[in-house]
Amino acid sequence: MTQRQRIVDAMIDSCAEKSYAATTISDIVSRASISRTTFYKRFADKRACFDASVDHCLELLQATAAESHSEADSPPQALRNATEAVLELLAERPAIAQVVAGEALSVDPSIVERYRRLVLPAAEGLWRRAGKSPGNHADPRLAVGRLQVLLLDKMTSEGAAGLPGLLPEAVYLLMLPFAGHDEAVRQSRLAGGSAGGKDGDG
Amino acid sequence: MDSPRDLRRWRLPRGRHGLPRELVARSQRERLLAAVVRVTAARGYESTSVAAILDEAGVGRESFYELFEDKRDCMLVARGLLVENLVETVTVPYGAPGPWPQRVRKALAAGLDWFASDPAAAKVVMIEVVAVGPASRELFQADFRRFAKLLEEGLDPEEPPPALSQAPTLAVGTALARIYEEVAQGRARELPSVAPELTYEVLVPFLGEEAARAAASGEAATA
Repeated sequence: MTQRQRIVDAMIDSCAEKSYAATTISDIVSRASISRTTFYKRFADKRACFDASVDHCLELLQATAAESHSEADSPPQALRNATEAVLELLAERPAIAQVVAGEALSVDPSIVERYRRLVLPAAEGLWRRAGKSPGNHADPRLAVGRLQVLLLDKMTSEGAAGLPGLLPEAVYLLMLPFAGHDEAVRQSRLAGGSAGGKDGDG
Repeated sequence: MDSPRDLRRWRLPRGRHGLPRELVARSQRERLLAAVVRVTAARGYESTSVAAILDEAGVGRESFYELFEDKRDCMLVARGLLVENLVETVTVPYGAPGPWPQRVRKALAAGLDWFASDPAAAKVVMIEVVAVGPASRELFQADFRRFAKLLEEGLDPEEPPPALSQAPTLAVGTALARIYEEVAQGRARELPSVAPELTYEVLVPFLGEEAARAAASGEAATA
């Protein structure tokens, strides 16, 4: 592991444990077993290090989403797989979930805009690659904010381990803008089922 | 009893007056609560000092510490009262008679007006509260659940249940996400203008697109 990566990991763990605001350079330096001088050779300040940590988390999530589906999957299938893979990863790496769904927003509320630029073109791309045009059934920009609220709620009540339980809601939210309510409900039920969802597969 | 409305509107002449002691303490408390909202919205929670709150309220330090533990306590009490007031504001139209989608539309409009009418309160409730630390997440969650429950309890028992059992949390999440974002960008005053599209987005998980669109435009008053 590179020294830079060690510092980034230390920042992620410390933020998850005691929040970004309470994290000091000393915390990071001691967690990463490096000197203060080394820290400042790599990063201008605490915020720069945090930003790099967010970048790292997002790259990881993006790669996970990309690997979760193949060209052969239908757009809804691919979206479902990608959503599931991301939620599973967040559950396995609670510190990353804390940073992405909690701390990043406290540090910079405009981070949601960045999440949108990652998620929405990727989701739309699934439809375009399949030669279909994504629909316009609801505001896709809102889907990401909605998801953020649900993630925060779930993390607070059940911790990151509970995040995979959000799959039906997440699939509905991400599917709705492009495929419409009826299809989003159907996919949401396929993804894990909700009350009275007795209608099946296909 | 605290009156949240007073908290939002409180303006008092400073200086000498002949009010009884109890009333003075109450008025001091409300002035401090109003002041913490105004100062926090203007400067941010971190940069807000007790001294600045005292100055804005025209209240002495000793009185402050008789009434509140510290800045955080004062801020959280103010936030709690504002949220109560918001709940009241949306509950009235939501509980009024009429077709369910129209009650949702009116409750949402009342909520958006609440945020727009006092951008300082909007900023404190949605944004600045995060600065008190991790405890803010639990507060946020409790509010979120409360609004979802409120929405669910008001569903029309005559109508079939929504296709998705999670519709109430999806709907409340939508409203909070949009309000948060507008407030974060300093656009609380413009919130009423998003009412039609937000009504649509809130209703879709319950009704599907067609019915949600009709309800959002104020139609379908065919009861």
